Amino acid sequence: MQRAEWSFEAIGAPWRISTPGEISDATRDAVTARIDAFDAVYSRFRADSLVTRIAEAPGTWSFPRDAAPLFSLYRSLYTATEGAMSPLVGARLENLGYDRDYTLQARNEAVDVPAWDDIMQWDGSRLTTSAPVLVDVGAAGKGYLVDLVAEVLRDGGVDEYLVDASGDLLHHGDEPVRVGLEHPLDPDQAIGVCELQNASICASATNRRAWGDGLHHILDATTGEPTSTVTATWAVASSGLVADGLATALFFAAAPALSVDFTFDYVRMFPDSRVEYSRTFPGELFT
Amino acid sequence: MNIPLTTLKSRTARTAFVAFAGLSVVGTLAGCSAAATTGSAGSGTSGSSSNGSTSSGSGATTSSSTASYKDGTYSAPGSYVSPGGNEQIKVTLTLAKNIITAMDVVTVHADPTATGYEKQFEGGISAVTVGKNINTLNIGVVAGSSLTSQGFNKALATIKADAKS
Repeated sequence: MQRAEWSFEAIGAPWRISTPGEISDATRDAVTARIDAFDAVYSRFRADSLVTRIAEAPGTWSFPRDAAPLFSLYRSLYTATEGAMSPLVGARLENLGYDRDYTLQARNEAVDVPAWDDIMQWDGSRLTTSAPVLVDVGAAGKGYLVDLVAEVLRDGGVDEYLVDASGDLLHHGDEPVRVGLEHPLDPDQAIGVCELQNASICASATNRRAWGDGLHHILDATTGEPTSTVTATWAVASSGLVADGLATALFFAAAPALSVDFTFDYVRMFPDSRVEYSRTFPGELFT
Repeated sequence: MNIPLTTLKSRTARTAFVAFAGLSVVGTLAGCSAAATTGSAGSGTSGSSSNGSTSSGSGATTSSSTASYKDGTYSAPGSYVSPGGNEQIKVTLTLAKNIITAMDVVTVHADPTATGYEKQFEGGISAVTVGKNINTLNIGVVAGSSLTSQGFNKALATIKADAKS
């Protein structure tokens, strides 16, 4: 049974870590430092971040070691979704109003989302860009950060935990947790329950981070427009990185195309309240 | 509606596609019949029929255009590339004395993100969901996106307030 809970605010959202015992101050400091280090590289909401510098001028940029799995995942999903899920939607998101100042007002002139190979090359540790480009890892970054925080917990001797980064979860331990699948149209309701154990579940929905007139944060990079065919997704995988990335990719590709490279369970909900889910989904859907 | 197979070829553009789909389905059924004769279950079957008969889908005796077909209702999936992308269709047609007496073409996927693989995905289950009140469920955590960035939520609240004033 989880006994201790540590709640804090990070990357603009509330987090909660549940553990059998209190987490030591040293480990808490290490968690906070890890999150700060990640944010300093990948946050497009920070004026001093690496991705903000990359958006200012072309060049070759060295990334920390944690970047390799992230870029690798993005490349796999970019391919599997035929370019629809891309880290290059950043400028278009700003253009639509989802910017550092949260103006939430779409500009009149549209910007195109560049094709990956036209504008940047990733060699495993360095990114070379041929033009200023705003990299946005929002589709998988939070799930990945959950993994990185769990790594710090394990380094600190904590091996049973539930990390909850505002709805993106990673569990490790002998006792599974029951996780409600929040109804995308009504946070007081759930459409099912997932039995989560030694795995991550991440969710994505078009209607939450939405700012009117069909504008939300999940963009189809091939059109530059918010996608509308799927309302919400949940993906269960062994890591937060993969679960979070797949939760977004499932807006653009059906499960079989993604199952070539990844092992996962999933739920997709459509605008007409239909749900589609994997037969092996660990839990129950209310149908 | 009684449409002899041979007249299908001379229709207008939209119908010409239907003719193509219909003919390719017949070709598919011919393939099924080969499988059926070797003991496999025929997949080109349908339980409904406008004339009351139900075919096993093994009716095509040959695959040539001069073939005679067993009466019954046949159903088969197909696909084609429309200006909007790849579309999955399901074609159902009823044959009586080598004449198509009824034909129905429906687009299987209203969801453009679906691919032809989807139907083959063994694990996929589709159903209509009904939400349950979270308080009635024995759950400790929720996977969802209601707790999004607080900066975002504040900005949205401000904009809504501005819009009202």
